Amino acid sequence: MRGVPIREKNPGKSGRSNDPPVLILTSLASGPKHGYALLQDIEAFARVRLGPGTLYGAIARLEERGLIEPVGASGRRRPYRLTAAGAEALEATLTELRAIVEEGTARLAGTGTPRVVTAGGLA
Amino acid sequence: MRPERTSGFLLRLYPSGWRARYGEELETLILETSAGHVPWRVRADVALGAVRERLRGAGLAGDGTPAERMRGGTLLVLCAWAVFVVAGIGVQKFSEHWQAVTPSGSRALPAGAFDVLVVGAAIASALVVTGVAAVLPSLGRILQTGGRRQVRSLPVAVGLTLVAIPASVAVVVWAHGLTAAQRNGHDTAYATVTVLWALLLLGCLATWTVAGVVVARRLEISSRVLRLEAVLGAGVALSMVAMTAGTAIWWAALARSAPWFLAGAPNGTAASPLAPALLVTAILMLIATTAASAGAVRAFRAASDRPAR
Repeated sequence: MRGVPIREKNPGKSGRSNDPPVLILTSLASGPKHGYALLQDIEAFARVRLGPGTLYGAIARLEERGLIEPVGASGRRRPYRLTAAGAEALEATLTELRAIVEEGTARLAGTGTPRVVTAGGLA
Repeated sequence: MRPERTSGFLLRLYPSGWRARYGEELETLILETSAGHVPWRVRADVALGAVRERLRGAGLAGDGTPAERMRGGTLLVLCAWAVFVVAGIGVQKFSEHWQAVTPSGSRALPAGAFDVLVVGAAIASALVVTGVAAVLPSLGRILQTGGRRQVRSLPVAVGLTLVAIPASVAVVVWAHGLTAAQRNGHDTAYATVTVLWALLLLGCLATWTVAGVVVARRLEISSRVLRLEAVLGAGVALSMVAMTAGTAIWWAALARSAPWFLAGAPNGTAASPLAPALLVTAILMLIATTAASAGAVRAFRAASDRPAR
């Protein structure tokens, strides 16, 4: 079954590659992690430094939607992992992003030089 | 301040339910990312996170059906308007008699900017009253069908208003019998009563806003009325943008032509135009305008998503 992209599970959000939910799901795709490990991993692979408030706001939303779940009993450093729905949502989002990347790459290759958007349209 | 105390303070900004679920983990993370001192970037991030959670808890932000987001966005505009009214009253009080101390050749620009503020306030007030009037039939239905318990926040607001009306009449009558100097701080008894009266009016505004949000979340509102509310909310937000710009231009114009007025210094003397009271008021206006714009955009985006139910 094809998953629903995060954008559709999260109306009003863009589902961009640097959105905290996308970054968190991507990080958890390699295994469960707690808050601090998530921050370090995201900074390492995306060069994005999330704040603790932003991270836990996104964790709360993702848990509400059943895309991630805590592992084990409650504690000061509780790890989270992807659910099956979370994996599907991440896959669907990555497919969308991949389509944009491929399209952009193909267009750049077709013209040879990057096109610049000006006030009057494409230069 | 020790990191433990800072993180404890920051956590208290969050709603209690959210804190019970995530508080311990978030506190651990704050301490793990702070070596002996919680950085200001982290403090701002956590404080903003708390504001977001509180807005979500009140239904003013977050996800949901288009109808819920339209309603939440419009209610955020209403709350922002209440804050803006407080700031606007501050500007009104601060700007009293500014024309008298400004050189006549320099009055055109600040006068025009101040007119924008006054006209914007009138338009936004009319839009808010229209928005309230549009949901009155829904309120009537809920009262008729025995839903009085769902609107139990209203009696507090009504009670405070019943106290505020005679209090306002008494203060105005008293003020008419005083000299200008007595009205401007030379009469301690009057100054004390005025402060208490201002707090009473502030309480009225706050309780009506809270009651409005609580009641509006429970009302059954049709798609057509919700869309009308979204349009009215956008109008209020635009008026607030114009008023904030008007205040900034008025301030800048006076800073150039009559800085002594802003500093409360004798006419013609050199003075700093950065009056603390006006600065706080302007920041409050800016925050309210930003919140209203966010609410209006949210309501409009939801309205364009798909038909609301």
